[in-house]
Amino acid sequence: MPSTMPDSTSLQTFADDLAAISGLEHLRVDGGAFTIAPASTEEVAAVLHCANKSGFSVVPIGGGTKQSWGNPVRPSLLLHTHRLSTLREHTWQDMTCTVEAGCVWSSMQASLAKHGQFVALDPLWPEHSTIGGIAATNDSGSLRLRYGSLRDLIIGMTIVLADGTIARSGGKVVKNVAGYDLHKLMTGAFGTLGVITEITLRLHSIPRHMQSFTISSPDVEPLGKLLLKLLDSHLSTQSLQLRSTNSGFYLDVRLATLPEVIHDQANSLSQIAQSVQLEACNSDSDVWNARQQHLDWPEHFVVKATMLPSDISRLTATIRALGGTSVTQAVGIMTATLPIAASSQLEPLREKLEAIHGSLTILRNPVNTTMPVSSSPEDTLPLMRELKQRFDPNRILNPGRFLGGI
Amino acid sequence: MLADLRAVVGTNGIIVERNQLQTYECDGLTALRTLPAAVVLPRSRDEVQAIVRICAQHRIPFVARGAGTGLSGGALPAANGIVISFARMNRILSVDIPNQRITVEPGVINTHVTQRVAPSGYFYAPDPSSQTVCTIGGNVAENAGGAHCLKYGFTTTHVLALDVILPSGEFVQFGSTTVDAPGYDLTGVFVGSEGTLGVVTAITLRIVKRAETVQVLLAAYNSIAAAGQTVSDIIAASILPAAMEIMDRLSIKAAEASVHPNYPDCEALLLVELDGPVAEVHLHMQQVREICRANGAWEDRLAQSEHERLLVWKGRKAAFAAAGRLAPNYIVQDGVIPRTKLPIILEEIGRMASETGLRVTNVFHAGDGNLHPIVLYNASIPGQEEIAVDLSIRILHRCVDHGGSLRGKHGVGKEKQQAMGYMYSEPDLNTMQLVRCAFDPHQIANPDKLFPRPRLCGEKSGPYIPHPLEVAGVAEYF
Repeated sequence: MPSTMPDSTSLQTFADDLAAISGLEHLRVDGGAFTIAPASTEEVAAVLHCANKSGFSVVPIGGGTKQSWGNPVRPSLLLHTHRLSTLREHTWQDMTCTVEAGCVWSSMQASLAKHGQFVALDPLWPEHSTIGGIAATNDSGSLRLRYGSLRDLIIGMTIVLADGTIARSGGKVVKNVAGYDLHKLMTGAFGTLGVITEITLRLHSIPRHMQSFTISSPDVEPLGKLLLKLLDSHLSTQSLQLRSTNSGFYLDVRLATLPEVIHDQANSLSQIAQSVQLEACNSDSDVWNARQQHLDWPEHFVVKATMLPSDISRLTATIRALGGTSVTQAVGIMTATLPIAASSQLEPLREKLEAIHGSLTILRNPVNTTMPVSSSPEDTLPLMRELKQRFDPNRILNPGRFLGGI
Repeated sequence: MLADLRAVVGTNGIIVERNQLQTYECDGLTALRTLPAAVVLPRSRDEVQAIVRICAQHRIPFVARGAGTGLSGGALPAANGIVISFARMNRILSVDIPNQRITVEPGVINTHVTQRVAPSGYFYAPDPSSQTVCTIGGNVAENAGGAHCLKYGFTTTHVLALDVILPSGEFVQFGSTTVDAPGYDLTGVFVGSEGTLGVVTAITLRIVKRAETVQVLLAAYNSIAAAGQTVSDIIAASILPAAMEIMDRLSIKAAEASVHPNYPDCEALLLVELDGPVAEVHLHMQQVREICRANGAWEDRLAQSEHERLLVWKGRKAAFAAAGRLAPNYIVQDGVIPRTKLPIILEEIGRMASETGLRVTNVFHAGDGNLHPIVLYNASIPGQEEIAVDLSIRILHRCVDHGGSLRGKHGVGKEKQQAMGYMYSEPDLNTMQLVRCAFDPHQIANPDKLFPRPRLCGEKSGPYIPHPLEVAGVAEYF
């Protein structure tokens, strides 16, 4: 959806107002848009209040790593969050921390590591992406199997609504709190309901001992069976993924427990692998970067597909047959690349996934097909539109970015 | 309108006789009672939808009810409203062991979910103390937790999808049996919304593989601070127990008197439960025992059998009901505090209590900060009930002052409605109202719950009257 087309007078007023909030040095004009870098939640609120008054569209931007996700938006204002970068609080004894949304992921983790703790998530582009952007897109990787998603890790948030209202959801304690879990609504909302300025997270101890194993096979079915057996086992599995490359199929397993126990569990793993006539070997060091590598693959479609664990091997074979590669987390999230030649197969692939309760989301579209970026649940779209209408009546926040053109 | 409802559920599916309606006038918070206009007992989603459509058409408030074990008045009817009882929608609809999922109707009892999947070595993790009677629908409304929420999380962690009838009567599906369903996380905002956003007719839940083994340890201390420090040290050692509980001297005494779990006689008792693979639990438990001793535990005792382990937990669960042995009446409060603040809070509670001349006993879910102060009093002494109620609310405010929250697991409902205004600012509450209005613009879904309304100032908080289920020994107040 195009941004509003303001006249030059209102633009000048807007620029003056923005400069008054954050200072001229933090205001720029960039192509057809302004950019501003507020320093605090209050400044973010003032900026949004100002934009909302005149109906200027706003896109919040952290590391900018996922700006191409969702439908394209051409805003009047890019709201940069990099000055909201402080780790406000790390109460390690309560296993919680509160961090500003513009804090870069890797630097947050480095601070938390001082007390041997971390946010148990392995997102994409960790050296550039911010906690705010990761939350807004609900990114997750191989750690999801053991630790859950951001829905389970985020316990509170400060958000700024389109009209400049500052609201707090959740709390600082891990335990269940009163009221609606607005922070859950904001997670994965792609910045369409509010700007996240602060997040409180539940932490875990950094596992001290881990070991990874890879089981390879020319056929994907035995690996699919093995994946289900491992989910059903008593191994201390932290991560489990099924990979498909040009050279074959692989199941990667990462165990995390005490060293003496890892040794015994490695033997158990071998026995389980042998039950499907396969062998477990030590992994190459970069197998857990596979998802990132898929996102960095040039000139291909990149898609995210969701499915039941029992459908993983079948869908992996489907992608392979289309000439693509994939890595799928055992919880049922696949990241796949497909060659441009397969573009006509995307819609049938989406239908196939939806028929088995899954979904297909296009993360990179190198040829700009008209296919919708995301599966759209028809029955709940009116309710989602209603929520958008209440939270952002003037549609200034990422207008059109979300599914259904929300 | 009653005729329309009767046409949907049949004569056997509607209750209008006053003496029968009385069963539904309250839930576990028996101090607050309102007689509904009618109670309906649907058997299917279609019937639920038809009922809600009638309510929407006539703007009649409705509230869903499972087993009625809630402790915050969540199932309290609105005057002239109707109660939708899910007692007859208690089927397990589908089970998928390889994918670790199960779909159930809302009236299914919590433990029945585990029973269904136990033969395959699985269980349904959220374990509120009323789990042998409470229903999944109620668990979803309240985002129920349990003793093991430290490791296993709450209901919301285990809900994948919901079939919902919105207050307009529309049927929608939130989430999916697969994860990361596209769109806003409507499942996430619905769980814990206490029936104010609609009514659930089917729930898809995640089930978890049972750990290979479980062990429980009791450690006796001369001070709460030492027990609290032990908890911190366990966490610092990268160990995540399945549960950690602290009981003070008075609650130990109460438990011992009623259930005889043979607890050590001490100032503070720490209970630590570990579960996982056998070798891992064995080694971790050794470390935990060393940490306990390093913090001055003068006894640490490992349960030697499943029977002993269950007895340890029975004693812990009896701490509440057993308060009845210490005083004729008591009020249970439910607050959350950062664990690091426990020694300070308990000291303050002790001081506030002695100023009033009343005693307060404390039980604490050490892993995640849920504190249950139990204010003991004698209602037959004039004025003492008011003092007790006031003390319990002031304690709650202190929890919030120390960075905590006013709800651990028992919901806000009617009981803590006013206190929501203490914890949340106007903008926070207004923002939540945006959600409520999007789902329920005509405010018929369990209205007058959850959020403070000025005209309801001054209602009583809950003096403890045992629920009939407790008296019958069927459920325990945890």
